[in-house]
Amino acid sequence: MVMTHEAIRSVCDITLETLTGIPEGRNVLTCIQCGMCAGTCPYGEYMEYPPRKIIAMLRAGLIEEVFHSDSLLNCVACYSCMAKCPRGIRLTEVLLPLVKERVFEHLPEVPRELQTALQNTLRYGNPQGLSPAKRAEWIKTAGVPIRILSQNPEPVDVLWFVECYTSYHPRGQDNSRAVAKLFHALGVDFAILGNEERCAGECARLVGETGLFDTLRERNMGVFRKYRFHQIVTSGAHAYDAFKYIYPCYGFDYPLEHITTFFAKHLEALKPLLTKKLNYKVTYHDSCCLGRHNGFYEEPRALLQAIPGVKLVEMTHNRISSLCCGGGGGGMWLDTYYKSRGMERLSDRRVKEAIQTGADVLAVSCPYEVSRFEDALKLAGYDDRMVVRDVVELLAESLGGD
Amino acid sequence: MKAMRTNGEIRIGFYICHCGTNIAGMVDVKEVAQYIATLPGVVVSRDYRYMCSDPGQALIQQDIQEHNLNRIIVASCSPLLHEQTFRSAAEKGGLNPFYMQMVNIREHDSWVHEDRVAATQKAKDLSRAAIQRVFFHKPLERKRVPVNPDVLIVGGGIAGIHSALTLANAGKHVYLVEREPSIGGHMAMFDKTFPTLDCAACILTPKMTQVKAHPNITLWTYSEVMAVDGFVGNFKVTVKRKPRYIREDLCVGCLECIEACVYKDARFPDEFNLGLGKRKPVYMPFPQAVPKVVVIDPETCIQFKSGKCKQTCVEVCDDRNAIDFEQKEEIREIEVGTIIIATGFQTFDARRIPYYGYSIYPNVFTALEVERLINSAGPTGGEVVLRDGRKPEKVAIVHCVGSRDENTNRWCSRVCCMYSLKLAHLIKEHTDAEIYNFYIDIRAPGKSMEEFYNRVAEEGVHLIRGKVADIYPDPSVPNNGRLIVQAEDTLIGKILRIPVDMVVLSVGLEPRSDAQEVRRLFNITCSTEGFFLERHPKLAPVNTFTDGIFLAGCCQGPKDIPDTVAQAGAAAAEALALIDTGYVELEPNTAYIVEEDCSGCKSCIPLCPYTAISYLEDKKKAYINEALCKGCGVCVAACPSGSIKQNLFEDEEIYSEIEGVLAYA
Repeated sequence: MVMTHEAIRSVCDITLETLTGIPEGRNVLTCIQCGMCAGTCPYGEYMEYPPRKIIAMLRAGLIEEVFHSDSLLNCVACYSCMAKCPRGIRLTEVLLPLVKERVFEHLPEVPRELQTALQNTLRYGNPQGLSPAKRAEWIKTAGVPIRILSQNPEPVDVLWFVECYTSYHPRGQDNSRAVAKLFHALGVDFAILGNEERCAGECARLVGETGLFDTLRERNMGVFRKYRFHQIVTSGAHAYDAFKYIYPCYGFDYPLEHITTFFAKHLEALKPLLTKKLNYKVTYHDSCCLGRHNGFYEEPRALLQAIPGVKLVEMTHNRISSLCCGGGGGGMWLDTYYKSRGMERLSDRRVKEAIQTGADVLAVSCPYEVSRFEDALKLAGYDDRMVVRDVVELLAESLGGD
Repeated sequence: MKAMRTNGEIRIGFYICHCGTNIAGMVDVKEVAQYIATLPGVVVSRDYRYMCSDPGQALIQQDIQEHNLNRIIVASCSPLLHEQTFRSAAEKGGLNPFYMQMVNIREHDSWVHEDRVAATQKAKDLSRAAIQRVFFHKPLERKRVPVNPDVLIVGGGIAGIHSALTLANAGKHVYLVEREPSIGGHMAMFDKTFPTLDCAACILTPKMTQVKAHPNITLWTYSEVMAVDGFVGNFKVTVKRKPRYIREDLCVGCLECIEACVYKDARFPDEFNLGLGKRKPVYMPFPQAVPKVVVIDPETCIQFKSGKCKQTCVEVCDDRNAIDFEQKEEIREIEVGTIIIATGFQTFDARRIPYYGYSIYPNVFTALEVERLINSAGPTGGEVVLRDGRKPEKVAIVHCVGSRDENTNRWCSRVCCMYSLKLAHLIKEHTDAEIYNFYIDIRAPGKSMEEFYNRVAEEGVHLIRGKVADIYPDPSVPNNGRLIVQAEDTLIGKILRIPVDMVVLSVGLEPRSDAQEVRRLFNITCSTEGFFLERHPKLAPVNTFTDGIFLAGCCQGPKDIPDTVAQAGAAAAEALALIDTGYVELEPNTAYIVEEDCSGCKSCIPLCPYTAISYLEDKKKAYINEALCKGCGVCVAACPSGSIKQNLFEDEEIYSEIEGVLAYA
């Protein structure tokens, strides 16, 4: 698996023209055209230019042609091609964003849903277009006190970067309430940025809107610098990736955890608190960012197995083979576009495997997945037999006490 | 320059080589020669186009005669290349060869610098250092030690077998040590061999029986090398003979004990058939096993587990008395002059690529398992069947499993393309199934290989250029074992999802998991990927960096049977060359102890990487075995009393050299 677990500082100012000047880029020259990338791509059959062909065109000096095809909009940044590439080429991380940026410039028309999400993110700091002044509204329903740094800027151990879906979406807020409850149960000293927080911008970058990403990144970095804290813990799997791999180009050097890995590291302290038995048969969906990109396959499973009563079952495609929910790289706002082209929604494909396991709960660890899989289960007519829960929601439920 | 403590007048000849333009292009050789001519002791100072050429060497010899020279310095390339050449030239001129000193002004100077003035200055400095050093050189003698004519061969696959027979036929005595109960190695597991499709057993079995019958071969199977001491020509080797609970000299291989075993049915996984078949606690590894002697597995035999077996095997063995439950491990000490390592390879563990489903989906097989299925002596009697006994109608063969991949093994395993094509042919022949070979590139170099590729293509095997990306159960027919093989056909740019009954993973070749331990045991080296390293990739392909130890077969790198046999022959020839010379010459740049200064503190003993130092209890002094010493200098530097010195690296030689290189000129 191609995982470097480190930021790619050398790609900060890289362009397609200078790509082969750095080691991470030069290895496109070693591509053996084996087709692994296209073969493993969830939308492989819709890719006029899969990574293999992009590299061939790049090497032949014909890359310009690729910019005029919109097939890269079908890339949902699932990291499958990169994880399995036998030459270790950093496709999803390095090559594809550079090409996508140019594809995006050449798009005759940006699909409407995506256009709106991007405009919203620019204007309001969240793709839903909700008021930035209401970003921290959810804490009123948290049931536990939550400190906002702008109101009390004392140094804090954990700066919790909540992210968009977990701030605004009703089901995302369930995730946030669960995290707050778990933090309290563990006695974690934490605070949030409240209305100062903006989308981390990972999807903007991976769909090709680099300018928007830069705006968001600068804004967030400015806010981080105002406060003193020991580490950043985020609920967003995509925010985690942005902070870990791209923000360090611009001075981000804070210790970082995703909530899943944070709680996995505190598992011994957490275990005695998990007193309520949950008699669920659970199947876990590896999110692309946490799984394939970062190799966190066992941490979420360890958390689930720590919950009394939970029986864990696996889907056919798990861990490195996990099937993407289709929400990454802007895919979150391209469902209508994909449908108009007769493409199956990837979340629909994924829940078929979940259903085959006979599980009651589809456990997830990325905020996009909750709504996507709930929709897909509804469409499959299976929502009465299977529910979608974030791992942290199950942990909080097992805390008991209420 | 300080006063010289030397015997008689020192008369130095200095020669600087142009090496074409290699040196002269960056160093002003004439200027260096002119400068050196001004130094004390220098009688002759010349530059010449190619010092290593015959006229170059003749020049040295002639000058020694005419100018009565007694020291020679050649400033040219690395001593690795031509030290021997110029030492011989000095010797032919009548000098002790160790009065010759080389200065490396090519690799250390002209090749690595871009400033001609500075490079010239550096050449002068390095040359001056040598001038000051040679004043202290002493005449040294190379020692000769005899070579024991016996040979140890480790590993009884086709490589070890071929080396053993070659040496034995040349009249040398060979110890062939094999870890498994039978010789034969991987080749014995194959059905037919590419590209000729001759049966592996038919060509291998005669060689195996020859080994057993050969008067010059001592065959120790079920045995392992435990320790190796000594040096080229004189190795002492400890071999462990594991108990097989059968007296090898008494067993006639009648197999009656197996028939008589209290277990009526074979029920334990059969190692030779990779667990696809079953065996009893007493078993013959395979029908053509050599030696034709059964083995008892104490892990499964009731006698060993409970001590209360009826021992029907002993009963039926009767007065042959070959079964011996009391047999113990035996340790044998042998002395040999040369060693050939032929320990082979292991196949890639396909479980390391989870998306190919090996050991998850029953109908995913490795190529080696399929070899056993095809083999008429195998667990299915030559039927290619799925794990539930059905005959496959569609079979996918996945090339490059674990090979050419940054995530697993980076190298091409070299034999998989051809064996995959062979399996395609054989499976088709046995089952008439549709065969799909998924490849990245077909590598078919060598005699008759491309022609074989052509033949298999003509037979209608589907050759699909694309690396398999995913293998999973066919969701449209759950639970019937059918699998979907997903890949891009890169030649038409389409994603294929082909339903098949059987998947064959063409697993690559890799170093055995204990290669590092074997490396340490024999004091040889491994290349980065873990195969044993040859001394030179082109010009010394079967030598190691340890004199007297040679490599044969896949322990050095993946290769097919013809190449393995060729290399095994070469290793035998290298051993023969040493044996028939009868002696080896040892370089004299070894460490020695000035006994009166040695305090007997023993601090040098554990430091020696070659275990060349021992302690003389009677004298209470350390002793260095010159034959083992490689002249690394560790003990010299470490000795607290300064009692260890080293030939060619005496303190005064080194200090003068340093003074010379640092002197301002």
